[in-house]
Amino acid sequence: MPNSPHSPLQDGPAVTDADLEALLAGNRDVAPRLWPVADVLAALSTAPSRGELTGEARALAEFRRRTSVPRRHARPGTAGLRTKAAAGAAAAVVVLGGAATAAFADVLPAPIQRFAHDAIGAPYEPSARPPGPARGKTAAPGPFASHGPPQASAKPPGKGGNPNRPGQEEPGTGQGQQGNGQGQQGNGQGQPGVGPGQPGNGQGIPRGTGQYGDPRPQGRQGNPHPQATPAASHARPARHRPAVDT
Amino acid sequence: MITEEFASLLAAAQCGNEAAFSRLWRDANPALLRYLRVIAPGAEEDVAAETWVQVVRGLRSFRGDEQAWRAWLFTTARRRAIDLARHRSRRPEAPLDDIAVAQMPSTEDSAEAALEHLSTVAAIALVSGLPRLQAEVILLRVVAGLDTDSVARLLRKSPGAVRVAAHRGLRRLAQLTADAGVTL
Repeated sequence: MPNSPHSPLQDGPAVTDADLEALLAGNRDVAPRLWPVADVLAALSTAPSRGELTGEARALAEFRRRTSVPRRHARPGTAGLRTKAAAGAAAAVVVLGGAATAAFADVLPAPIQRFAHDAIGAPYEPSARPPGPARGKTAAPGPFASHGPPQASAKPPGKGGNPNRPGQEEPGTGQGQQGNGQGQQGNGQGQPGVGPGQPGNGQGIPRGTGQYGDPRPQGRQGNPHPQATPAASHARPARHRPAVDT
Repeated sequence: MITEEFASLLAAAQCGNEAAFSRLWRDANPALLRYLRVIAPGAEEDVAAETWVQVVRGLRSFRGDEQAWRAWLFTTARRRAIDLARHRSRRPEAPLDDIAVAQMPSTEDSAEAALEHLSTVAAIALVSGLPRLQAEVILLRVVAGLDTDSVARLLRKSPGAVRVAAHRGLRRLAQLTADAGVTL
């Protein structure tokens, strides 16, 4: 398509699209009037001059810089594995550090705290925490199990404890707590017969039958209004109805 | 064009073989510079260097044949040239008078120079006198060795539009050479 009405291209045979495609393909077998164009296109594709190869050193330096580091770690995936390992180690440090902090702050659940006590010397006071449920264990009577008869007197609930409110670490919550195996049951200081909802036990004799605590008190109901002085401020209400309750 | 050896050269370069990369560079860089002389006059070497930096970064992940390789190379170069043009438009560094006359495309002068001595530089100058799209299409087809579809993808045009631009550019070149009275 000539761009000028006086184009010499219009004087001779028409230049076809096939000729133009042949030119683009480097073919010189075209209409003679297109030979100058073929020369121009051929000049575009001549061998490179020296000036066109001067940047090779710079490109190679970049290539060397980029490829030298990965070549040292040539195995694919190694870098990824190292990254994952580092991330895992960092996560482990965070978790273990947090656990250790919690252990020394004495805020872990009793079994875990005890384990921490054994493992890393974290503080552990068995009497200062409620016994955890000894699932599947029928704890033997503790060393103080035979001390004293169980007292039928009521014992006030712990601080803030509501004997009528289930689910606050108090017996009678239906959680089925058996003997805790810590030898604190039935020690004579434990106060069987607690407020409503607390089955009295006072004996510390676990039920070998795996009897779980009855959320409904079957034992004698303690007086929710304490009349007796608590044996000790740290004494906790017994969890089970004493074996000898008569 | 490397053709038969290209796959092995590319694989070796991707594994860090410097000689293989040098072969690839020597094959492609002259064409790259000739293309950039038209679309980024005066900055072709800098743009080419930036292009190779980009290419080296992505070399390991490249997959494709020689056609795809060249298309990637020239696409990268074109983007770098566009970035440079935008940068220059925001921060002009030199007034127009300071630009060397040789760097300014002039159809008549370029045609005469090309016809006097049909060197590569003169031919590039002649092509530079074409409208931008026509010049780019001709250079990408002839210098870069890309087919119509690859050029269309690179320029984000339809293959038909690329074909039309190429034909118009060639006819314009024929016009220029005929107007200058060249007979072979």
